Amino acid sequence: MVEVIFLVPFITGLAAFFLPGIAGRVVLGLTGAVHLLMSILLWVNRPDAFFPEFFAVTPEGLLSLIVISLLFFLISIYVTEYLREADIRSENIFIGSILLFLSTMTMVTLSDHIMVMWIAIEATTLASAPLIYTHRTAKALEATWKYVLICSVGIAMALLGSILLTLAMDAGNVNVPVSFSALTGVAKQLDPTWLKAGFVFILVGYGTKMGLAPMHTWLPDAHSEAPSPASALLSGVLLNCAYLGIFKTNKIMFAAGLGDFSGMILMVFGLMSIIAAATFILKQTEYKRMLAYSSIENMGIIAFGTGIGGIGAYGAILCLLHHSLIKSSLFLTSGNILFGFKSRFIGQTGNLVKLMPKTFVAFFAGFAGISGFPPFGIFIGELLIIVGAFRSGHYTMAAIFILSLCFIFAGFANHVMKISFGKAPSDTRIAITEKPCLVWPQYALLLTSLVLCFWMPDTLYQTIIDAVAAIGGGF
Amino acid sequence: MIHPVDILLTLVLLSVLFAFASSRLPVLIRILAFQGVVVSIVPFFLGHDMATGSIVFTLATLTIRGIIIPWSIYSMIKKMGIKREMETVVGYNVSVFVSLLLIVAAPMLSHKFNLTFFSGSTLITPTAITLVVAGMFLLMARRNAIAMVLGYIMMENGIYLVGTSFSARTQHIVEFGILLDVLAGVMIMAIMLQSMSHKYDNLDTALLRELKE
Repeated sequence: MVEVIFLVPFITGLAAFFLPGIAGRVVLGLTGAVHLLMSILLWVNRPDAFFPEFFAVTPEGLLSLIVISLLFFLISIYVTEYLREADIRSENIFIGSILLFLSTMTMVTLSDHIMVMWIAIEATTLASAPLIYTHRTAKALEATWKYVLICSVGIAMALLGSILLTLAMDAGNVNVPVSFSALTGVAKQLDPTWLKAGFVFILVGYGTKMGLAPMHTWLPDAHSEAPSPASALLSGVLLNCAYLGIFKTNKIMFAAGLGDFSGMILMVFGLMSIIAAATFILKQTEYKRMLAYSSIENMGIIAFGTGIGGIGAYGAILCLLHHSLIKSSLFLTSGNILFGFKSRFIGQTGNLVKLMPKTFVAFFAGFAGISGFPPFGIFIGELLIIVGAFRSGHYTMAAIFILSLCFIFAGFANHVMKISFGKAPSDTRIAITEKPCLVWPQYALLLTSLVLCFWMPDTLYQTIIDAVAAIGGGF
Repeated sequence: MIHPVDILLTLVLLSVLFAFASSRLPVLIRILAFQGVVVSIVPFFLGHDMATGSIVFTLATLTIRGIIIPWSIYSMIKKMGIKREMETVVGYNVSVFVSLLLIVAAPMLSHKFNLTFFSGSTLITPTAITLVVAGMFLLMARRNAIAMVLGYIMMENGIYLVGTSFSARTQHIVEFGILLDVLAGVMIMAIMLQSMSHKYDNLDTALLRELKE
């Protein structure tokens, strides 16, 4: 039963390569709806997998899966209108790849076998490469090249790390299936040295894909050159998938009693990412790159919170959920701005509030959400992480964390004010009308994030608690 | 007593020296094909029980790592007609020196690890370390895009060699998945290389400097 959920988009994706434009869009929308339906059923029923040695339904996987499904469904609505406005030469490749991308990401959330996880994460790289190259420009080529090469090399490190985990099994004379759940169960018997080495390599490998500094260099390029719906998927859910690999390995580390070791490394990488984002976001001239650096920041925050554990880990998962919802809405909105102003540069935009009022609402609300204004979830998540950092006595790190967030807020706000209220170039003519399909998906995403802050369903709360309990998180 | 596989692995270690000294892509590709063949047949020598499945899988690895991947890159550079020398960041003499250091350091390092899982062979771990590090070095030291892809493949070969002990533990379907991912990755890189040569008429990655920060 479980496997069907990634086989459906896989099959429709393959079919979409051979379908003409309109039929492809219909298939895309239908697959999005069916996928969402299946995810909800999976959430409610939590069935067993056909191949329990490879796949399993875990709380952290379910959280990622439901976010992927919801995002993809809304993005597929946006895409139907987007494709009408955008000049994309080979639409069938775009739709086929985006469906395969969905399939591989779904597989990541469900995989339990260490190597199947690796296969799925590498497959996400391969499926998303054509998406980044959609526009066929020299810049898109450069971005795709960097993306494929850096991520493949990075993920090769994760493969090495996964093999080292099996060496930890050999050295500890453990004979269980090579799956995350089985290894978490026998973690105490694994050889600690090899386990540590494996964790470091896996963190560097999947961390490359997650966008942790200093391995983040591909991320701003890929996110800015990809078409906006693809950027939304890359930032909203692909980064979560890579995080899932780290999270599950961290579970083994925690069960083996090496939680302090892995937590410290996660915190250091997290802080480095936040600092890197703070340094570069100030002088960005393109708005999509600015959003990409904000993703690096948020991934840093999530890694930092996971490293702290306890209440911070709960905060990290909150940030993960809300970042997906808000950032994908921001990337979709940036697609509208690009349609309207025909330029990626912040300097060539302006006065969004008058020129594109509906887009402005989505853009500004998204900005408020992502930079952690009080009613939104990221605020609560960051607050919990800071409290957690103080509780566990990491005062210096907490101070650096807060200071960097202030910097990022200042840089981000400066650019957003210019786009929203600044003077637009005198020859600006807005090229599109803001059709419902181009703004409502963003509103829906932001609304979901807002609702989740005030009212979180019990089942969601319980799933988050279950997920973080395995790394020593919770209240 | 010298384990038979160690003789082959010695040749692989030597081939790293050649790879670092060579300025011509076809030579580099041939070296990689040789390394691909050797790392794929290592399981034959290690005395795991070879069931039919293992033999089929080993042959599949051999075909993909030793033949398909090198051949596809070779035919691509032939089609593009690249004859010029590679653009480098680190010169050839320095590269050879680095590879010598590497070949000396790797056995010393692996001695510390004290890996007893590789029945009898003393050279598997050093060779694996050498290949992984050498692949990374090629990635950094050559500006030519094809050489970078070849560096990635060399690294993958090294990782595969570390994984030979792991392969006894898992189903072949999983290993086959890994292999397919690597193959698809190399194919996508090859497609990127072709678009690059159309756009720039050159594969010097120094041309890819438009996107910064």
